[in-house]
Amino acid sequence: MKSEPVLLARVGRERSQAIDTYLADGGYETLRKVLTGGWTPEAVTEEVKKSGLRGRGGAGFPTGVKWGFVPKDTKGKPVYLLCNADESEPGTFKDRLLMEEDPHQMLEGQILSAFALRCHTSYVYIRGEFFHGARVLQRAIDEAYEKGFLGENILGSGFSHDVTVHRGAGAYICGEETGLIESLEGKRGQPRVKPPFPAVVGVFGAPTIVNNVETLCCVTHVLKRGADWFAKIGRNEKNSGPKLYCLSGHVNRPGVYEAPMGLQMKELLFGDDYGRGMKDGRKVKAVIPGGASAAMLTAGEIEDCPLDFDGLAAKKSMLGSAAIIVMNEDTCIVDAATNLAKFFSHESCGQCTPCREGTPWLHRVLSRIEAGEGRAEDVELLEKISNQMGNGITLCVFADAAIAPVLSSIGKFRDEYRYHVENKRCLVGPRAAVEAVTA
Amino acid sequence: MSAPAPPAPAAPPPPKKDTLTIVFDGKPIEVPPGINLIEAAKLAGIEIPHFCFHPRLSVVGQCRMCLVEIEGIPKIQAACTTPIKDGLAVKTTTQKVRESRAANMEFLLINHPLDCPICDQAGECKLQDNAFGYGEQRSRYDERKRQYAGYDRTAIGPHVVADMTRCIQCTRCIRFCQEIAGTGELTFLDRGGRTLVWTHDGKPLANDWSACAADVCPVGALTTKEFRFRRRVWDLKKTPSVCPGCNIGCNISIEDRDSVVYRFLPRLNPAVNDYWLCDYGRFLSESLNAREISKATVREGSDVRDAIVPAAVERIASEIRSTIETDGPSAIFFLGSAHLSNEENFLLRKIADHIGCGNRDVVVDRSRVRRMKSKTEWIEGDHAGANYAGARDMGLSPGPGGHGLTDVLEGRWIPQIVVVADASFAAAADDAEKVGRLRGARFLAVAARTANSLTRAADVVLPAASLAQKEGSFTNVQGRVQWFQRAFLPPPPARAHWELLLLLGVALGWGDRNWTPAAVRTQIREEVEGYDEVTEQELAGGGLMKKGLFVSTGAV
Repeated sequence: MKSEPVLLARVGRERSQAIDTYLADGGYETLRKVLTGGWTPEAVTEEVKKSGLRGRGGAGFPTGVKWGFVPKDTKGKPVYLLCNADESEPGTFKDRLLMEEDPHQMLEGQILSAFALRCHTSYVYIRGEFFHGARVLQRAIDEAYEKGFLGENILGSGFSHDVTVHRGAGAYICGEETGLIESLEGKRGQPRVKPPFPAVVGVFGAPTIVNNVETLCCVTHVLKRGADWFAKIGRNEKNSGPKLYCLSGHVNRPGVYEAPMGLQMKELLFGDDYGRGMKDGRKVKAVIPGGASAAMLTAGEIEDCPLDFDGLAAKKSMLGSAAIIVMNEDTCIVDAATNLAKFFSHESCGQCTPCREGTPWLHRVLSRIEAGEGRAEDVELLEKISNQMGNGITLCVFADAAIAPVLSSIGKFRDEYRYHVENKRCLVGPRAAVEAVTA
Repeated sequence: MSAPAPPAPAAPPPPKKDTLTIVFDGKPIEVPPGINLIEAAKLAGIEIPHFCFHPRLSVVGQCRMCLVEIEGIPKIQAACTTPIKDGLAVKTTTQKVRESRAANMEFLLINHPLDCPICDQAGECKLQDNAFGYGEQRSRYDERKRQYAGYDRTAIGPHVVADMTRCIQCTRCIRFCQEIAGTGELTFLDRGGRTLVWTHDGKPLANDWSACAADVCPVGALTTKEFRFRRRVWDLKKTPSVCPGCNIGCNISIEDRDSVVYRFLPRLNPAVNDYWLCDYGRFLSESLNAREISKATVREGSDVRDAIVPAAVERIASEIRSTIETDGPSAIFFLGSAHLSNEENFLLRKIADHIGCGNRDVVVDRSRVRRMKSKTEWIEGDHAGANYAGARDMGLSPGPGGHGLTDVLEGRWIPQIVVVADASFAAAADDAEKVGRLRGARFLAVAARTANSLTRAADVVLPAASLAQKEGSFTNVQGRVQWFQRAFLPPPPARAHWELLLLLGVALGWGDRNWTPAAVRTQIREEVEGYDEVTEQELAGGGLMKKGLFVSTGAV
């Protein structure tokens, strides 16, 4: 049975973006409770830790613990909170919905988080293409200022906070924390050397916490209804809370679905409340469970596959941004891998040698195979290139992300690659059919 | 909450060490704190290959060549970005490290044109060296190589030519312009495999040190217009010298082949020019090859006749002797030069002393102010002559009751004889009015390498050596005495200024024909204040501060 929605509760309500409807639904009451109810920043952090909330951006790092990395003594430097609304992972479209449909939910969470961090200035780094989202968000911020939820001395609590919306310029890598920070500083979006980590030296040289949009929305509900309530939702206490899943691909009803963390993959694909099965009754061939950088799963692997951090880690993939991309039996896996390799080749920032040189190389070899010019040694070559790009030898995890679809597709569909190389055409899909007719 | 636990009894603090112990491949070595693992390995005699790391530029860790294994860390680490800690155990020769280096070399070379035979960097190319040292013989890359149409073989400034097909995106040049020059002309454009280095908005790379961008470039992507295609670098001989451009006295290597100077390169001296050299000084190299005065000439009435050098010197000596008889030594004027060495200026002053003449001076030329960044501070050069301080130290100022250069140039005094020890570099030497004043003397003798108004007006012209053709020492604006060595001999009959001056001294009854610059330095140590500790060993080791004369403007 479908559970009561939390994050998407207000989506679909008339004028859900407006502050009056948000207030009517009990909005900003949590902020009032925390700011004027004698809560300390430490108590807020403690509550978030207790809830087991893990970052919804992709890495799944416990949010409260992350907050705790800000040094006690910041040596006179301010602390910054950055909301990562870059949502650049292919197949992901949940943050966009949250911002466009219920911006105040996120803002409230952002102010609460800022309070916990003793942060007086925060930024929303929003994907440049989210033009509408940025406008909605800015309107919401203006309303919050008007009503006194932002600005000087919020609700008479003595806590002041300002939020600025910053639009990105269209780079995947700016969703990476330090790439985002560089970009926000007006520099070229490329990841930094770590350590120091952003919690110690982040934006403008000050301690900085970067949290995803959905994470901040969750913070609102953790504080609204308590850590215990939040921790009880989901499969277990390490994978807790409500979660938004972005379902796309060959299913009958793609979209953003909310469910308790740990929803079964089968349920999401076939459940009546969710995907309602495969389009045209085709079979599942492969599923990418967490955005482009997650390893593919086969139809066999999606049996008993809880969609949460640990459930997918057990299958050597990841929940990532919870972008579930479904491919049916007519999908050429080499074509799919080539498409992903093209994306990563286009988006590599160009700093580290293995990634800068390796991503275009992968794409070229894959394109060649897909175009029917593959050679016998190509599949092994792809694996070797991937292995010498990955395993954390670069500054950020981009290279590891780029090789995940290549390695997983080869590992799980080696025969199809082999067919491609030997027969110079796709095993399935439109190009296979055309070849068969003309042959 | 319970009361805080009582503080644990304080353990005796560990003895504070000034150095850290790092274990490289099982071999412990003591290193000073604050250095990088690559530098520490160097101290241990171990090479960690790298491209993007440069000791004076910020650490970016992006070439990924310096990967090493560190005990206790499962993942392979970049040596340049690993924080250095006491007791760190580093492994640089394991299978994993070798494979990572080979893999990285393969990546770096897949799009590199491998055009070493027509690349000017060949022979001093880190990519070449590391490919030979750490790469595989064969590449598995069989696709089209990346091209940068419009960004190849293009001048991006007055001196630097860029060829992006060879670039390995290490950003050293970008960081040099940002962090050392402070001008930031260069930047990355585009991203991923299409990343290239270019100037912002196509503006020229035109800072005062722009050619250093080519120096720090580990590959042939940035080269200098002036040196490109002139010589293979392995053909060149390097001679330690000091830049003649101003009195900062940047340490350089003169690089020559068959007695032709091809270029100056900066020579590391953290206290003066560190790794850098300004464009002005660097490109003076070609001027060292000029030779317009190739023999001695003597004017006889309206005729100018060739003479052998000893005869020409004797002519000067006899003019001096007869003038001393008729008008006394105070009718003679000796003009030294800030472009001559301490030894030469010392000899000139001693000759003046010998005949009892107090009229001596050196040209003051503050026409160019230059700046250079040492390891710790900016140094400002305030004189166009490299050895202005040394010339003054050697006593080239008017003696008691003696006349100086301004007296002559402003017409207050007309000497009978003027001896100009070096006419090639004097800024006044092509000023008709000033030359006219000097020519007001009955007899004018000059030593020179290049012709100018002064040499054309002189009665005796002696052919002199260039900086590359002689040995000596300069004293810079900081008071640092620095040695320059001879790269090759001057073409006979030209001789080093000090040899010409010794000939003159001997002709006038002073000095020894067998003295060398080293012998003259022995006398300088004995006679000139502040130079007593400037030993030959100190000079060879990079220059010594004169005692009590150096005033720092910042941290040393």
